[in-house]
Amino acid sequence: MNASHKRTSSETASEPVLVASGLRKTYRMGRVPVQVLKDASIEVRSGEWVAILGASGSGKSTLLHLLGGLDRPDRDGGMIRFEGRRVSEFGGAALNTYRNRSVGFVFQFYHLLPELSVLENAMLPCLVPNRWISATLPLLAALIGGGVGAVVGSTFGVDILPTADAPTPSKIALLALTCGVLGAAIGVVLFQIGQVLAERTRLRHGPQAATSRSTLEEFGLGHRLRHRPSQLSGGERQRTAIARALASEPGILMADEPTGNLDATTGREILDLLKKRHDDGLTIVMVTHDATVAEYADRVVRLEDGRVVETTA
Amino acid sequence: MYQPLLANRYLGSRIIPLIAVAAVALCVGLVIIVVSVMSGFLDMLLNSGRTLMGDVIIRYADPGIPHYDRLIEEIESRPEALAATPVVESFGLLKLPYGNRTEGVQVWGIDPASFDQVVDFKDSLVWSEAPPEVQTFAAEMNGLEIPTFDESPRLDPGPEGGDPGVILGVEIDSAAKVRRMDGSYEVKAPAFWMPFRDVEITLIPISTSGALEKPDNRRFDVVNEFQSGVYQIDSRRAMIGLETGQRMLGLEEAPIYDNRLLDETGELERIGTYPARVQMILVRAADGVSPEALRDAVDLAYAAFAAKIDDEDAMTIRPPDEAFVGIRTWREQLRDLIGPVEKERELMRILFSIVYLVCAGLVLSIFWSIVHEKTRDIGILRAIGASRPGVLGVFLAYGLVIGLVGAFLGALLGWSVVVNINAIHEAMGEPAPSWTWITAFALATVMFGIAIHASLQGGMLRTLLSIVAALLLAGVGTALLLHRGFLMWDPAVYYFNSIPNEVDWSSGILTMAGAIVFSVLGAAIPAARAADTDPVKALRYE
Repeated sequence: MNASHKRTSSETASEPVLVASGLRKTYRMGRVPVQVLKDASIEVRSGEWVAILGASGSGKSTLLHLLGGLDRPDRDGGMIRFEGRRVSEFGGAALNTYRNRSVGFVFQFYHLLPELSVLENAMLPCLVPNRWISATLPLLAALIGGGVGAVVGSTFGVDILPTADAPTPSKIALLALTCGVLGAAIGVVLFQIGQVLAERTRLRHGPQAATSRSTLEEFGLGHRLRHRPSQLSGGERQRTAIARALASEPGILMADEPTGNLDATTGREILDLLKKRHDDGLTIVMVTHDATVAEYADRVVRLEDGRVVETTA
Repeated sequence: MYQPLLANRYLGSRIIPLIAVAAVALCVGLVIIVVSVMSGFLDMLLNSGRTLMGDVIIRYADPGIPHYDRLIEEIESRPEALAATPVVESFGLLKLPYGNRTEGVQVWGIDPASFDQVVDFKDSLVWSEAPPEVQTFAAEMNGLEIPTFDESPRLDPGPEGGDPGVILGVEIDSAAKVRRMDGSYEVKAPAFWMPFRDVEITLIPISTSGALEKPDNRRFDVVNEFQSGVYQIDSRRAMIGLETGQRMLGLEEAPIYDNRLLDETGELERIGTYPARVQMILVRAADGVSPEALRDAVDLAYAAFAAKIDDEDAMTIRPPDEAFVGIRTWREQLRDLIGPVEKERELMRILFSIVYLVCAGLVLSIFWSIVHEKTRDIGILRAIGASRPGVLGVFLAYGLVIGLVGAFLGALLGWSVVVNINAIHEAMGEPAPSWTWITAFALATVMFGIAIHASLQGGMLRTLLSIVAALLLAGVGTALLLHRGFLMWDPAVYYFNSIPNEVDWSSGILTMAGAIVFSVLGAAIPAARAADTDPVKALRYE
């Protein structure tokens, strides 16, 4: 591996941005509990690239999942702190926000959404933010549509009742209710159509689109923006996945075997790309079983049987 | 917001949701068609009942209601009543002028002017002028006199005498004409056209003591035909003049003699007059008055009328006691007919509400498989920060769109079929045109060709699908070739001579809303499963 890629932690790192101590995680295989992590501790400084190296089944992916908020440690199974906040004690909403804003994930198998284009995949984290307004607006649309439907149903219901059905108050009420349901459904779907059109505009002209487009162009995917993942090579897919991970400008990038599914040349391209971002100050935690890949990192944490056994700079 | 974007993409990029939409549309369309025809049938039954009988009917069978003109005056003085008309009713024999045919008919004796005010009788008259084919025939027959048609046809002979007139139900005569799709009639055999001909009617009067008297047979000019739309009425009823009917049935005004007394001339002494009678009085409500309110008003009017007659002259013939006189609304009068149909319709609604469960089941099973297939996508969304309600929203939005689009397509399908149901029925009643089965066989041959080609190339799915399509097309072609037409809607069974073709939108909207709700409910369980997906497990393996 090119030694020039390496920088010492003393050159780049500063305060610890991510601290995990005494992490324990147990899975159940049927009725048998299997402890995957046993008092694992790790510290990542801002701007540092840490590689977690270990054999298959050593617990390195589990550690990454805990650090990234995808999973939780056992009860009283240690503490994770990110930028001073105790991630291990976050509730569901805070954890969602943490994954959306603070962490960017890159997976071995890319994990792009096949129905979305390259640009849409890259922008996905920007579309996800869990704002109260996102949940409230469809409900509002349903209420307005339902209200209009109910009024229309109660006003004109008599006109559409068959002669055989005497227009009793209960029948008019039922008709108003059904028109309300229909109106609510129409309201929500119209709102969704509006949202799709708005998203389309946002995807084309919004500031986040400009950022993602520029990242993809930087990654050599400028001519692939409208392509679907199935039309891309493995390297292109992984570059798209990295662009997605960087879309919300996270504090830390977590990569799980980012070159594990690529040939050596493409793998090097991907690592060079991460290196370039790291040189710009990006903090990276990377899981790998490949020692040559780990050489790109500033520091290597070796994991064996769920325990950190060695840390080398 | 990613939910609408993803729901939109999932809908557009897969065939399964389209199948779900089609299934929901078929379910909704089916319910709308069935319930609309049932509601339309009930509506036609009720509307025709009202048109044929007015809003309230006073009925007292033989010996009938005496002093009915004063009862009508009493009723018409009430603000609830718009008009009333007397009717005599009996069963009789009608001798048609051809084929030596004699048929049993229901004869109504009516006063055309007042009858029209109550039941819009003029609107039901079929002929306003002789149709062109009749005029051509009349010209060919060297000036055969073409009948003219009055808006108020003369039924009772005038002072100058002559034969009385009769208006026959349009379906009584089936030899001369055929009904077109629009309900109008085309005269195929002008020589047998009824308004050219005379008929004979025989009625049997019943004495005041209830005994049959000597039958009365008279010749009538056919002055027009009427069409109520109810086959049973149009094929069995004949309208004659009120006075003629009263005379033939022995209900006209008659002197009362005392068999024991002779006057100066040696004749039996006349001691009074038996007033003319009718068996029915039909009453029409004023605008905005319900039949039930009118019935109550007519009840009071009858009581007042009976009291007045009682007070006037102890010797006069008194009207029957109110307790024995039937005063009913048209709905009550047709209760035995309407009740079962109403029950059948409700039963159909309940049975077809199973369709909602079908919608829910379809959407649930389809979404279950979609969620299973999309587990990794859900994991990705959760990994980049999507909340559980957010993921739930993707699939609920997906189910909502399927329900809404399916419901509207179903409504469109239902509307198209219901509006054109008579044309469809008419086409089914005819043998299939030769081009239809030739096309089906040609397409079947092409599909067999494709199947052979696909099998040579080793494509199992294409081969199988092509063979299935070819067999289906060959089956359709054979069915069309053998189809000789069949009549599903027999007017003799279903009363009306056309199938109701108006959509019952109240039931339609209920069905659509139900389909949407159950589609969303069907999506909810897989959506909740999706929301509960553990992102780590979802992303663990490729």
